[in-house]
Amino acid sequence: MTDTRSVTSSAETPTDRAAVRTDEVWKVFLQGPEGVQAVRGVTLAIERGEFVAMAGPSGSGKTTLLNLIGGLTRPTRGHVWVAGHDVAGMSARALAHMRLQQVGFVFQAYNLLPVLTAFENAELPLLMLGVEEGERNERVHELFERTGLTGLEDRRPGKLSGGQQQRVAIIRAVASRPALVLADEPTANLDSATSASLLEMMEELNRETHTTFVFATHDPQVMERARRLIRLVDGRIDSDES
Amino acid sequence: MERGRLMLRLAFRNLRRQARRSLLTAAAMVIGGGLLIFSVSLGDGTHEDWIESGVRMGSGHIAIQAPEYAVSRKIEDRLSTQSVAAAREGLRSPDIAESVLEVVPRLTTGGLASSPMGARPVEVVGVDPVAEAGFSTLDERVVEGRYLEPDDRLAAYVGAELTEGLELRIGSRMVLTAQDAEGEISGQLVRVVGIFGTGIPEIDQRIVHIPLQTAGTWLRAEGAVTTVAVLVDRSRAVKRTAHHLEDELAAPIAAGDLAVLTWQEAMPELDAIVKVDDLGNYMFQGITFGIIALAIVNTILMSVLYRHREFGVLQALGFTPGQTGALVMAEGVVLTVLSGLLGIGLGLFVTWFFWRDGLDISFTWQEDWTFSGVVLDPVIVPLFRAARVIQGLLFILFVGTLASLYPAYRATRIDVAEAMKFER
Repeated sequence: MTDTRSVTSSAETPTDRAAVRTDEVWKVFLQGPEGVQAVRGVTLAIERGEFVAMAGPSGSGKTTLLNLIGGLTRPTRGHVWVAGHDVAGMSARALAHMRLQQVGFVFQAYNLLPVLTAFENAELPLLMLGVEEGERNERVHELFERTGLTGLEDRRPGKLSGGQQQRVAIIRAVASRPALVLADEPTANLDSATSASLLEMMEELNRETHTTFVFATHDPQVMERARRLIRLVDGRIDSDES
Repeated sequence: MERGRLMLRLAFRNLRRQARRSLLTAAAMVIGGGLLIFSVSLGDGTHEDWIESGVRMGSGHIAIQAPEYAVSRKIEDRLSTQSVAAAREGLRSPDIAESVLEVVPRLTTGGLASSPMGARPVEVVGVDPVAEAGFSTLDERVVEGRYLEPDDRLAAYVGAELTEGLELRIGSRMVLTAQDAEGEISGQLVRVVGIFGTGIPEIDQRIVHIPLQTAGTWLRAEGAVTTVAVLVDRSRAVKRTAHHLEDELAAPIAAGDLAVLTWQEAMPELDAIVKVDDLGNYMFQGITFGIIALAIVNTILMSVLYRHREFGVLQALGFTPGQTGALVMAEGVVLTVLSGLLGIGLGLFVTWFFWRDGLDISFTWQEDWTFSGVVLDPVIVPLFRAARVIQGLLFILFVGTLASLYPAYRATRIDVAEAMKFER
């Protein structure tokens, strides 16, 4: 087990080419008299194009760290930079724009909008970005074809299997070609074969588009496939291996 | 544009997703909208009827008088022959003539009516019998005898309560005494040719109609009148017509020879009653829509709470808090507009249904209801006005938008990370 924190701890140059950089970031939730320290002084850097898994037991702070990186929650202390942007200092509106342009999310529970079809769910970020209809259709159809979902475009999420829903969620996350995809337990609700196929798909996208993938996971399959594994324990980085 | 379409699509589909809740709220809105349009139309119809009755019994939609007459009610504050001619000329101008239905001259003075059985204070009105019959409804209220005719000279048409007090019958003689134009007390013998009953005590006890020519001779004011009363085609045309008339009569008005009064100025009590009744209706509608607004708040707020996680997902995907709030607003506004339009349709249908024969509420009446010189008609005919429909729609939209504001605000305040943990 190699602790590489010393290697990646330099966060003084936020405008460098790192996809993600955190500097002594803390997250304390106000719960009880002392609060809960979910993330405790984590400093790390993730370069563009990395395929990283953050693993650890429940309560180790991996989801909170992922949320901090994605700007879904603000650090109590410290800094988080995504593609050179200081997430901690951004307004809610600026954070939303940053997420729209730079970050794709994949969730454990898929979180597709039930009132939209698979295609409409997938094209949602493109639509919000103002991508022209022709290009939107081209990109989404290509990804549907690539993920074996052709023919299911008009189905609502309720009519798709878990694996199909997660594929749609991945298409939604990558269709806008973000610099970073954050995936929180993306395989937790799937059987191993489906998980393997999804991971393979994400690996391919990572290789082809150099999109950075960061996973928070318990799944050994994800850890095996990750080219870098960061282990968290009690809100701190316990190990960081490539 | 695309984003706007997305918002609307999401709004429609989310409303359909909670179909039962949306339909229940929409039903409240449809009934409320229908009630709004029908009650406003009914209120307008009632008021039009009151105004019509009031102005026909009184001094018309527009009264042209000497400036001091409205306060003094004395014959010395009368219109000269020239002023009457100028007023008639003004009423013939193209902008005004198309709205004018009837014009009647009246020479009115306070006096005393006496018979061998006693004397009573009265208001003697010298009228042109033919013109007056087309203007006032008093000629239709004959209980005995007849109304005045063009050839009548010493005839009087009197109220039933006055005839009771003075023990007069058809053919009875009575003496009218008043101060004439030269300030002398002068008497005139007349014979009762007709008795009327309006049910309005102040009219039945006090009003005496005699021929205008007789009144002019008796009061030494031949050719002069105290009021030129004008009836226009719609009570809503009054202000515009009065305004045009003031322009036409600018010179005699500036000289202080005459004044143009609308019925609101000539009959302020009736105007106040109409306004108070309108206020009551608005309050009732306000309360109704307050309750409906709570139903909308409940529907949309429940939807926001139920979809807490979904709003978190949208924000994670890049929706700004403002866009999330706009989505919620869109749901409220779509629900409001659709149900509001249906409600207005319902209201128009009900209004049309009762417009055909009127709404007869005579079963609730024991006897004639009157107030302030107005006889109430137990058959109310709703009045349709396009402006009221537009006002109704705007009001409904305003209520819907207002009711959606709080749920929308709640949606903008979502803690995204917390929302993602939210389990339904």
